[in-house]
Amino acid sequence: MDPSHNLASERSSIESTYELTKYLEYQLKEIKDVYLTYLGPPFNEKDFSPPRPNSTALTLPSAATRLELWHGLENQARLAQNQRAYSILLAAVRELARSTLCPSLKTSLLHFCTGLDGLLGSISALMNSLGYSSPAQAAAGELQFPQRGTGSNRPAPLMSQSLKVEGFWILRELQSWLWRSAKDFNRLKKRLRASSLTRHRYY
Amino acid sequence: ISNHKILKACALCFLHPDVAVISPQDPVLRIGSGLTASCRLSPELGLHASSLYWTLNGVRLPGSAYGVVSSDILSVELRSLNGSQQKSGDNLMCHGADGRILAGSCLHVGMPPEKPVNLTCWSHNAKDLSCRWSVGGQGETHIPTKYTLKYKLRWHGRENECENYSSEKKGHACRISSKIALFTPYEIWVEATNQLGSAASDISSLDVLDVVTTDPPANVRLSRVGSLDDQLMVRWASPPELKDFLFRAKYQIRYRTEDGADWKAVDNIGNLTSCRLAGLRPGTVYFVQVRCNPVGIFGSRKPGIWSDWSHPAAASTPSGERGSCDPKAGEQNSTLRRELKQFFGWVRKHASGCSSMSIKLYDQWRVWLQKTHKTRNQVGKQHTLFFFCLLSEMPFANTPLLYQYTPS
Repeated sequence: MDPSHNLASERSSIESTYELTKYLEYQLKEIKDVYLTYLGPPFNEKDFSPPRPNSTALTLPSAATRLELWHGLENQARLAQNQRAYSILLAAVRELARSTLCPSLKTSLLHFCTGLDGLLGSISALMNSLGYSSPAQAAAGELQFPQRGTGSNRPAPLMSQSLKVEGFWILRELQSWLWRSAKDFNRLKKRLRASSLTRHRYY
Repeated sequence: ISNHKILKACALCFLHPDVAVISPQDPVLRIGSGLTASCRLSPELGLHASSLYWTLNGVRLPGSAYGVVSSDILSVELRSLNGSQQKSGDNLMCHGADGRILAGSCLHVGMPPEKPVNLTCWSHNAKDLSCRWSVGGQGETHIPTKYTLKYKLRWHGRENECENYSSEKKGHACRISSKIALFTPYEIWVEATNQLGSAASDISSLDVLDVVTTDPPANVRLSRVGSLDDQLMVRWASPPELKDFLFRAKYQIRYRTEDGADWKAVDNIGNLTSCRLAGLRPGTVYFVQVRCNPVGIFGSRKPGIWSDWSHPAAASTPSGERGSCDPKAGEQNSTLRRELKQFFGWVRKHASGCSSMSIKLYDQWRVWLQKTHKTRNQVGKQHTLFFFCLLSEMPFANTPLLYQYTPS
């Protein structure tokens, strides 16, 4: 196996994953505005920030992390953190879509989910090509979102305040992660280039 | 560090969710009703109820509506509530003096549904049963309302629900696609339900065979009637499904000209599968459509439901031939014109200066001939042609030269 060939394909794979995160970041900005308007004021007001809830969806490692920790992350750990985060966030956004009563917003959210799913796939593929084993998608399985069943004659489920706050935070966390992932992939690209130079010295 | 500073500094951190609790939490209320809500503070906060304030959908509520129930409970009185501002419910929030949110509650203010109306049902080919209905009253309940079409066979007791629901601009509909029973009465109604109540439409009682509707007639064709220029013949076949039961079916035709706006209808066709349209305009394209009413099917005594119109079929009436007493002249003329065109093409290529030779020029010459009464009615008899060729290169410009050409 030609090492330089491997490196080139890895780099283009990282590059396309990077571009996907930028694209999703842009898409999210638009959906977020519509969703917050759907929640109604004050959710769509500038500088609005409700207390962060204690729910399962938000026990994931926050995108926010200390600089030296982030900088020193090994490639595998870096990718694994991204993978775990998006698995959880994808399930969370799907649930958001399910509980949205506005049909066009629901469609937009579901469409966004296919993008997130694509990103997850891209990250998994990258991990495989770098020889890292991806942990089983246990993260998504762990989550138990309360299923509000629609019985034969029970009306559609109503939004609650806690659901609104959770929705707000899921989108905010997603925004942070997409912003951070772009930097993660850039860092990954640099580290791989550096390690390939080391590799080349011995051939 | 006081708790207050920790709360302010932590944008992304975990906060104990129960800093305060609003009661009632996420209530559903009727438009026009009132509500007294209370915000109960957690003792760890170290705040006094009197320092708090309320907002509804981001708008601060006046202090005159507040009540300090105790040192850690502040209430607010809301009167005469309007329907929820957004579908996700109104946001009622309890704030600390510095503006931060301590707790929230989602108010859903609406109305119970009104009785659904205009329930109509039909069966496509006696294989399913579809119904449509309209929302009663104003239709706006502000809170999500679910509609369920229910039915039972009058003499068999068990209530069922229709599952294939769809909602469009025209209204709500549902299709029952399994186990449709003929020759036994159905009882059908619609139930509308939301968190504030429910309402049922009147029960509609029907027999499937009385509401059968078929596909449009098949193989609709429109053709000329010989050379008659004011008539066309429409032919069709009865819709393929159920055709064995349609011997008493009625048909209806409608037709219009290509650019006409109004359709003309033909009604008294009975159960024939062809019809001759007369009194039409010659030389005109007509569109025609046919539809079917399976009246009397399975012994039904009801008027029946018309199918959709078939796809349009088109044809044109022959154009009237005027001023031609010689029926053969037309035939000869077309052979002549064909040969002429061929010749002109040759001339343009091989005879220099004759590039302006064309059939138009020939027609102009013929008109000139007619006016001068010279060779009227002789053109068709002879195969010899006289025509002019304008040679711009000739020394005598515009001098017409005669060429005689005899086709082989």
